[in-house]
Amino acid sequence: MIQLENVSKVYRTKTIETTALNEINLTISEGEFVSIMGPSGCGKSTLLNVIGLLDEPTEGKITVAGESVQNYNSKATSKFRNQKLGFIFQSFHLIPDLSVIDNVELPLLYRNVSAKERKELSAAALESVGLKNRMDHFPSQLSGGQKQRVAIARAIVGNPAILLADEPTGNLDSHMGNEVMDILLKLNQEQNTTIVMVTHDENMAKRTNRLLRLYDGSQVA
Amino acid sequence: MIKHIFKLIWNKRRSNALILIEIFLAFLVLFAVLSYVIYNMRMLSAPLGFETKDKWMVYLDDLSSKDSLEVLEMKNTLHRELLNLDNIESVSYTENINPYSGNQSRTGGDAMGFNISSLLAFVDSDFANALDMNVVQGRWFQEEDLNSTYPSIILNQAFIDEYFGGKNMIDSMLLFRGEHKVIGVVDAFRYLGEFSENQPHAFYQVPRHSKEANNLVLGMAPNTPAAYEEKVNNLISDITKSSSFIIKNIDQMKKSDSRDTWIPLIALLSICGFLCINVALGLFGVLWYNINKRRGEIGLRRAVGAHSSDISKQFIFEILILTFIAVFLGIFFAIQVPLLKIGPLEPINMYYAIAISTGIILTLVTLCALHPSWQASKLHPATALHED
Repeated sequence: MIQLENVSKVYRTKTIETTALNEINLTISEGEFVSIMGPSGCGKSTLLNVIGLLDEPTEGKITVAGESVQNYNSKATSKFRNQKLGFIFQSFHLIPDLSVIDNVELPLLYRNVSAKERKELSAAALESVGLKNRMDHFPSQLSGGQKQRVAIARAIVGNPAILLADEPTGNLDSHMGNEVMDILLKLNQEQNTTIVMVTHDENMAKRTNRLLRLYDGSQVA
Repeated sequence: MIKHIFKLIWNKRRSNALILIEIFLAFLVLFAVLSYVIYNMRMLSAPLGFETKDKWMVYLDDLSSKDSLEVLEMKNTLHRELLNLDNIESVSYTENINPYSGNQSRTGGDAMGFNISSLLAFVDSDFANALDMNVVQGRWFQEEDLNSTYPSIILNQAFIDEYFGGKNMIDSMLLFRGEHKVIGVVDAFRYLGEFSENQPHAFYQVPRHSKEANNLVLGMAPNTPAAYEEKVNNLISDITKSSSFIIKNIDQMKKSDSRDTWIPLIALLSICGFLCINVALGLFGVLWYNINKRRGEIGLRRAVGAHSSDISKQFIFEILILTFIAVFLGIFFAIQVPLLKIGPLEPINMYYAIAISTGIILTLVTLCALHPSWQASKLHPATALHED
């Protein structure tokens, strides 16, 4: 499902060159739930961004969902992200001026889905995370756990093959974190969604199929 | 997408209210200034009805206390001798209604069964020739008209249009300050200046030797130098035995008169220009601030599939929709002025002002939105998401 061959990412300024990823080789199969761990600044989020086509590698080859994506132009990259990938972020990234259902239907807006269908799919996604009764609320009216569940609903509303979660439980207490983790596991098991999750929490990582450790941009386990 | 943008605008109505009010007020100020400017520009572009280049005015002394025969002889001599000068092509005697004199003679009444109000001028048979006036129907006065059964009258087109629906009035009898026969129509006679209205005007013939006709209009040869005034001055002085008459160049009087309107006009346009710059800077600043505040949202939209062009379009549409709402409100209030006929200006000036103000505001807003929106679209999604 995801294959990285000798992927490196180097950030260059006039005076400093920082290697964020160093020749990463990685294969993630369809339906796998992989967690990535490592100390701060080791390149976890960069790796997730590279897999999610939010950032381009300096070197190496990336294949996602059977497609070699590094030569995609900007339009094709946007379309690919929209149709194949779902993102969950530590800080939720909900738009404060939109209601819960409007936030959830955001990916469908860029897919030319009719308003009626958008509403139906968003309501179904919210129901699957247990928040259908909060459709018309605004993000400011929700708890942290609820916000992350809305973000999960937004990530899955377009039925993507791959979910990329960047510390999804990082801003939540353990109880809410476990709730979010349960939802992700359920998605992985019931819908065979491939999930790549960056986390600092060993307990959460243990619940996934495979743990990948990074140190100074290199894969150590 | 438009519905989505409307939702965003509505949900942010408090912060959007300030931009909306700013655009709305800018529209109203533009509308007011442009109405005045357009009115004056339309006046300026309309025909004056006479030439001012190489036309001179001579204001003679008051002749009313002088002997009639003496005046007759003096005026005939002056007319003849002036025409004998090389650079003088035509000479006309008029009463005190002359180009840029500032004098007005007006009368009104309902002798024809309806109310007629008109400016009046009392001139001789050479007046049209001296000022190169444009006679569009019939003819100008001739000396023989003074002896005809019915005194003649000449009207301007505005008179005919206003009171007779533009129909042909030549040889008709007009009961206006007595019974007169209409013998000609001139296109215009805006003698009060190039920014004055083309009002109904009636011309009555006076004999050359009339004591009241103590002003002269001189039609000079093309490009007559100002120094030639000395020669004219000496001749008039010799014949009238007076030195208290005044010679003026009509073209210079026109320029001096125009300056009085141009100065406030330019001042208003300058204020308007500064207003537009202020509005543009304000909008530019607000858009920059909004886009910087929404970097996380931009990153998220890119992550979920928005192309960079979707981002720039969204920001441009957001501000344009706000602008349309503000301009719509502005039009709603502005259009009441011509509809209810408030103020002295003709409605057409205000309709033009509404259209031009709308165009200026929309162009200004679009120009101000282009750069910040383009910058927003160029934000790297990973960076935008990381910074938020």
